[in-house]
Amino acid sequence: MVNNNTLGLIFSENSEASLGELMKFRSLAAVPVGGRYRIIDFMLSNMVNSGIVNVGITAGFKNRSLTDHVGSGRAWDMARKENGLFILPPPETIDLNGRIMGGIDYLSGAMSYLNRSRQEYVMLSDCNTICNIDLERVMDFHFEKDADITVVYTEEPDISPRELGKHILFDVGDDGSVSDIQIYPRRQKSDAAYMHMFFIKKSLLIELIEDCMAHDEHVISKNILLANLGKLRIFAYKFEGYKKKIDTIDAFFEFNLELLEEKVRRELFGEDKKSIYTKVKDSVPTKYGRDAEVKNSFIADGCEIYGEVENCIVFRGVKIGKGAKVKNSVIMQKSQIMDNCTVENVIFDKEVILCSGKSLVGESTYPLVIGKRKVV
Amino acid sequence: MKSKECVAMILAGGQGSRLGILTKNIAKPAVPFGGKYKIIDFPLSNCAHSGITAVGVLTQYQPLELNTYIGNGQPWDLDRNDGGVYVLPPYVSAEKGEWYKGTANAIYQNIGFISGFDPKYVVILSGDHIYKMDYSKMIKAHKEAKAAATIAVIEVPWDEASRFGIMNTDENMNIVEFEEKPKKPKSNLASMGVYVFSWDILKKYLIADENDPKSDNDFGKNIIPAMLSDKNKMLAYRFDGYWKDVGTIQSLWEANMNLLSENPGYELDDPGWKIFSRNPAKPPHYIAPSSRVKNCYITEGCEIFGDIENSVIFQGVTIEEGAVVRDSVIFPDSYIGKNAIVNKAMIGTNAYIAENSEIGSTSDDANKDFVNTKICSDDITLIGPNVSIAEGIKVAGCSMVTRNIKKPNAEKAAGKKSVKGTATA
Repeated sequence: MVNNNTLGLIFSENSEASLGELMKFRSLAAVPVGGRYRIIDFMLSNMVNSGIVNVGITAGFKNRSLTDHVGSGRAWDMARKENGLFILPPPETIDLNGRIMGGIDYLSGAMSYLNRSRQEYVMLSDCNTICNIDLERVMDFHFEKDADITVVYTEEPDISPRELGKHILFDVGDDGSVSDIQIYPRRQKSDAAYMHMFFIKKSLLIELIEDCMAHDEHVISKNILLANLGKLRIFAYKFEGYKKKIDTIDAFFEFNLELLEEKVRRELFGEDKKSIYTKVKDSVPTKYGRDAEVKNSFIADGCEIYGEVENCIVFRGVKIGKGAKVKNSVIMQKSQIMDNCTVENVIFDKEVILCSGKSLVGESTYPLVIGKRKVV
Repeated sequence: MKSKECVAMILAGGQGSRLGILTKNIAKPAVPFGGKYKIIDFPLSNCAHSGITAVGVLTQYQPLELNTYIGNGQPWDLDRNDGGVYVLPPYVSAEKGEWYKGTANAIYQNIGFISGFDPKYVVILSGDHIYKMDYSKMIKAHKEAKAAATIAVIEVPWDEASRFGIMNTDENMNIVEFEEKPKKPKSNLASMGVYVFSWDILKKYLIADENDPKSDNDFGKNIIPAMLSDKNKMLAYRFDGYWKDVGTIQSLWEANMNLLSENPGYELDDPGWKIFSRNPAKPPHYIAPSSRVKNCYITEGCEIFGDIENSVIFQGVTIEEGAVVRDSVIFPDSYIGKNAIVNKAMIGTNAYIAENSEIGSTSDDANKDFVNTKICSDDITLIGPNVSIAEGIKVAGCSMVTRNIKKPNAEKAAGKKSVKGTATA
């Protein structure tokens, strides 16, 4: 089915996510994950798979790697004469006065895109919640409930106190209506955790954005959702599949290693799921040498593996030399680990070279991050 | 249409009958190769890298898969506003309609297509060889020599020369004689099936050939000898890279195995000359703790729990725990069950090998019903696409399995059941 009447809007940045070294040269959306993907691939594919034919991606200032990755949108079948993919740069005239860009600031830069698009509804989403979600079900739910805004949540009992302060929780009634919203609570009163995705009529969204801009308000959760509680019909759709929010290096590391679990791979890439697309690189298959010892690893195309690899996520074009021992690590595109190196609990950004015989060891709870193109 | 200096025509209509069951439903150029490619990817990628942007692909035999695969040519960067890739099947006109009678007739029937680009040169390629070649260098040599035709040749071992079309040349690499599969070869320069022609000259010969009712309408048998006997300038262009004809099961298997050797003779992963293909949207492959993987080529979308040695594994293949795959080529989306053994075999696309079965078995009680030494040689076993082999079945080496093999007693049991079913109904 083609949801011609809905456009997608993805935020490529999120002020609450900080991936340190990995975001030094790129936006959150463009951070490589899962062996061959970038964070944006999941949400963008979800939208395309749900029949959305017009998607805008709000870009921050560090957008080179994002624009390079999505290009014309062809890999997602979005290089279209009508509709397709749009990169929306941040508004030029914005005066932040020292504060950070909020969601509404990004939306203000998307106003002319919103106004010009023919679609009547908008699906908005952060980029950094990794999941394979059928958004058509969210839309169906929205119309069934005759809602003004439909937010998407997952059940998350027992959120750790450290994590709780980063969550937005809903009180959801039996009919799916939202009766309370707790932003960054201290105490967990509800298990319904917001997935930073909502569906809304475009005309209403524009009205709300203009209102916020006129009142110097910048935060979607507070100024659009919470402020309209009781005034608008806000409903919550429950997503039951696997999801992982990537907002810290730890979460990034955890997500990657979770891909070694069959259940997680099924949830994201299973045969009954729609495909997650990414930029095509025409890499050759991965070559395993005679002395390769590989256990429990997720390996993309174009690699050459001659050493030992265990519990690793290996991106396209990585080389691992003879006698090298690599464990519990995430190794991004075109990095090279030369002969006889020892590596444990390390995240290698792209094109890192680890010279022969070197040893790099992090902790499983605190992985070592080696920045892009570093030579060690 | 804007004119192009050069148009390439890829002959992709052949059945490739020596590939047996592999080409029952697809044309030879659509046969998978090297873990993620199809044979046609090689000439198409060579064209794209050589700057040839008008390419005709002549299809005839079982064209569906090939047509779908080529699509608009985007994977090879051949979706162009001006030119691009065109699939050219035979067609019917007001006067007559006929199949492509031979390689020369296939080009003859597309004179209109080629002339539309008003080219100076036409490159004729066969769609069934594995090689990386810069055609632009060959075209340059053709231009500099002011030749009517230039034929790419490669040195083959003398003892194999009698299997090829051999070019006898003078000291300046001018072709003086062409011999198809000579008993006593005078040269070891074999034709690679890569030709550059000056279009105005070739067109005349194609028309004359078509008007000759005795002709086989074949480049090797008719056009080249005719041009030679008229003393046209014919140049042999020496190519010294890797080139492999993959027309038989054994050569196809060898070409795949060659990728695993220390020095395959060419770099598949050459960043400046990548072989493009239609990439499936599949996740990276997973290697489980229970598996052992040695000297292999494995691509995306596979789930590997068993042991693999000296093998090429295509996308979407599952190999279960305890399974052993040796010296084999496993085509896309196939399934190898628990504790199954696959020994020196090629497993067709989407085939199903159930647990505890053995492919390429040397045991005395192995199923020999499918042994086919005409297609299979060197003990290579071939399982056809979509074929399923039931639990515990042993398939003898050198078999070509063309249909499902069920459990012998299961067939009987199923038969009994259905009788009973009718009675109660």
